[in-house]
Amino acid sequence: MKTYFILISVSFLISPTSLFSQNAKEIAAKASNVIEFESMEMKSSLTIFDHRGNTRERKIVVATRQFGKVTKTLIKFISPADVRGTSMLVYDYEDKPDDMWIYLPSLRRTRRIVSSEKGKSFMGSEFTNADMGKPNLNDFNYKLHGTTEINQKSCWKVEAICKDETIADENGFLSKIAYVEKNTYLTHKAEYYDLNNELYKVMTISNYQKQPNGKYFAYKMEIQNLQNERRSVMLVDGFQLGSTLTEDSFSPTNLDK
Amino acid sequence: MNTLITKYRIWFIIIPVIITILMIVPLWKAKINSDLMKYLPEHIESKINLERLEKTFGKYDPLVIIFETADVLDKSFLKRMQNINTAMIRQKEFKDVISLFELKYIRGEDGMMLVDPVITKIPETEAAIKNLREEIINNSLVYKLLVSEDFRYTMILVNPEEDISDAKALEIINQILSANKGDENIYLSGLPFLRDEIQKKAIRDLSILFPLGLLIMISFLYLSFREMRGVWLPFTVVIISVALAMGMMPLLHYELNIIAVLIPIMMIAVANNYGVHIIARYQELNALNPRWSMKKIVGETMSVLYIPLILTALTTIFGILGLLVHIMLPAKQMGIVSAAGIAFALILSLFFIPAVMTGQKKGKVKNNFKGDGKSVVDKFMVWAGNVVTKNPLRVIIIFLSVLIIAGTGIFYLKVSINLEKMMPVSHPLRISTQIVNTYFGGTKNISILFEGDILSPDVMHTMDEFEARLETLPEVGSVNSLATVIKTISRALYDPGDDFYNVIPDSREAIAQYIEFYNMSGDPDDFEKMVDFNYTSAILNVQFKAKDMTDFRKVTAFINELINESEYSTLQAGQSLMEKEMSESIIRGQIYSLLFAMSAIALLLGLIFKSFTAGIMGIIPLLFALICNFGLMGWSGFDLDIATSLLSSVAIGIGVDYIIHFFWRIKFELKREKNYKSAIVTTLNTTGRGIAINAFSVIIGFSVLLLSGLTILKTFGLLIIFSLLLCLLCALLLVPAICLIFKPGFLLK
Repeated sequence: MKTYFILISVSFLISPTSLFSQNAKEIAAKASNVIEFESMEMKSSLTIFDHRGNTRERKIVVATRQFGKVTKTLIKFISPADVRGTSMLVYDYEDKPDDMWIYLPSLRRTRRIVSSEKGKSFMGSEFTNADMGKPNLNDFNYKLHGTTEINQKSCWKVEAICKDETIADENGFLSKIAYVEKNTYLTHKAEYYDLNNELYKVMTISNYQKQPNGKYFAYKMEIQNLQNERRSVMLVDGFQLGSTLTEDSFSPTNLDK
Repeated sequence: MNTLITKYRIWFIIIPVIITILMIVPLWKAKINSDLMKYLPEHIESKINLERLEKTFGKYDPLVIIFETADVLDKSFLKRMQNINTAMIRQKEFKDVISLFELKYIRGEDGMMLVDPVITKIPETEAAIKNLREEIINNSLVYKLLVSEDFRYTMILVNPEEDISDAKALEIINQILSANKGDENIYLSGLPFLRDEIQKKAIRDLSILFPLGLLIMISFLYLSFREMRGVWLPFTVVIISVALAMGMMPLLHYELNIIAVLIPIMMIAVANNYGVHIIARYQELNALNPRWSMKKIVGETMSVLYIPLILTALTTIFGILGLLVHIMLPAKQMGIVSAAGIAFALILSLFFIPAVMTGQKKGKVKNNFKGDGKSVVDKFMVWAGNVVTKNPLRVIIIFLSVLIIAGTGIFYLKVSINLEKMMPVSHPLRISTQIVNTYFGGTKNISILFEGDILSPDVMHTMDEFEARLETLPEVGSVNSLATVIKTISRALYDPGDDFYNVIPDSREAIAQYIEFYNMSGDPDDFEKMVDFNYTSAILNVQFKAKDMTDFRKVTAFINELINESEYSTLQAGQSLMEKEMSESIIRGQIYSLLFAMSAIALLLGLIFKSFTAGIMGIIPLLFALICNFGLMGWSGFDLDIATSLLSSVAIGIGVDYIIHFFWRIKFELKREKNYKSAIVTTLNTTGRGIAINAFSVIIGFSVLLLSGLTILKTFGLLIIFSLLLCLLCALLLVPAICLIFKPGFLLK
């Protein structure tokens, strides 16, 4: 017991930051866990604005459910009319790159897409596929930069730094600073720094609603790309905790259904 | 006038000096604008079209870096390329980078679609290299576009952000390249490089050629007059009038440009003329009238010379003002500024020189002016007098034959459409252009704009059809558009043999879904250069090579035909079209300014000598010189370009002086004794000598251009010397011969 206490004190003396970083990682983990990712169905609209203010609007339905260690997500276009029925199926594995399939209704054809890059655009918006899923905590080193106020809420400023260049290339950013509310662990804002370590995207997350299982879900996400001046807004029009879809519905062969 | 000069002597000396100093000051801020496209006026069609295109699709003005190595797929070479690529991507000064590590490769494989850069991983083994080589050969967006057929060349295209200067972009690129040095050869290409080179070379030219020109001028003046005042008086006039002319540019908000480099050189050559005539006349009077005082000599000189000096200056000004009808802005500006400079030089010569001279002592006699001098010029004058008076008809026949032989070369005269030809043959830009034209799709680019519902099968099929037809032209290296991408996606989705493989689908939904499909696996920004955000306008890019205007016109005419066939295709635009318009403006500018200068000169001569014949006779030698000059250009393969298109105005403006001086003196001599032969001999020995010295001083002034780092200025120098020599020979041989045979009445008036 005595030795244990001494060890802790020594580690305190040698590297006080290691304790700090432990804290930062814990905050990031809690912030990730407080959001519902595992099982849900939702309807949302995604609007993309270009730098001249032109817009493209898409309505999609999304269903997510966990089967064993694999989180399967099905996304289907409702509008615009010309892409209605286009579907995307994603298998998110913990230990290997995602599998993705796309179904094009006018061709009645399902194709697999291979993509190792999490930094790729989500449905042509400024969001990336990574923004839509649960982050892999082990890809990043975390640093706590004190606290600050966002919308009158006291938040931690937690920086997630990609562990190596490959991870940075995959994610499309070098580091990300998340503003996590102290009381609830809800993230209200995130700033992305590109591979030159310059701020290039700012995401704001709002309209969190508490779900019956105690977790939260954000009904509005907005992301601004400072480099190409494009902006994308995702609004949740309907949300339901849990999904009744069977595993069969999440199969590539059933994408046309 | 003489009393005026004597009375206010000091002021005629002090005022010019003060004005000069005031005018030089703003010049320190001046910068050379090497953006050739800015040389064209705002309202021209190709400029408006290009601006319209750039508004939607952004400016595309890339720097091209070409790598030459034994095998592009060599491991260590690719590693360096990858490092260079990564370094460039990370520069915030660069908007986008196209290379083997960036360009997307869309393909289907085992039921999957892959959208990845052409090279994701550098191949290590022989098998992997072989595999990659085959992939590249099968990739129509890469093979022969980014990698040459023989895999010896590859390139990286860098599009700098719009507010980044060419010099800055090149500095960054050179830094990156030198940090990743290997044994491959690297060549740069692209307009930003050309502009930067022009900028550097023009500044070098200005800082070396101008002082050198002055030095040569001083030596020449000394050798001609062997008297200090013969050097420093004309020299001071040159310095002051150059300062005034160049100082006008910032005052008029003109930017210095590649052509403006010619202005001080031309001013050195021309502005000393009037002073030279005054000194020559003073030396002549000094020799012939030993007892005259300096005041009397100067007074006599000025009273005889002020009319011919004003007249020759006026005709030069009018000749050079011919540049005003030129389409290119720098030519117009050069016309205004140098005409004003010559006017300054005239005024200074009329007031400043005599003001200084009257206060000086007489110099020693340098020549007896009796036609028995020992110098080459004196001997030539004696010879010319003999030849002309003995057999004037023979002189005319010889000139006519030369005219016919040289003149036929005009049919071979070509207009330069290749901007890189401004540079010397060994310049990296010439080599890189050669490589791009030989191993890649060519250096010329034109975009066809499509407007309407871009995703409709109608528009897509039209684009596809245009592409197929454009590819039949041998000049066309590559074509691409959204239709190319849609077909590529179809190849990734279907297998060979399938109905939908490598075709544009027949429904709007399918096309929209293809694009959505791509957006999910690739990068939506990938389409930014091909189609706008709302899918209402798109471009089809044509890359081609054109060695001359004929090739160029063939391609643009073909594109025009295509555009007229479809309601969706609305216009063609591109940097290359502006280059073409610039070339066409060169031809038109040349013809307009030639016609203007010729008629202005004919009119002026007609008025001066109150005779229509004088006008016609005066432009004969000018026409002769110019026809021979353009003929020589045709025979020897010199192209008409932005500099040589100024030739006729400048040559006419300067050359006409020789004729006026000749007419003036021969008229004077004929008044004394009505014998044409002796009048001609006297004229040649007296004024003829002045004309020759004057012409040689101009020629020597222009000769510094032969040392220019810019080929177009060098060529201009060579050709203007040739033209002026011809003008001189005409004035000393052809015109006297014609006078002797036709005995025109105006000379006796």
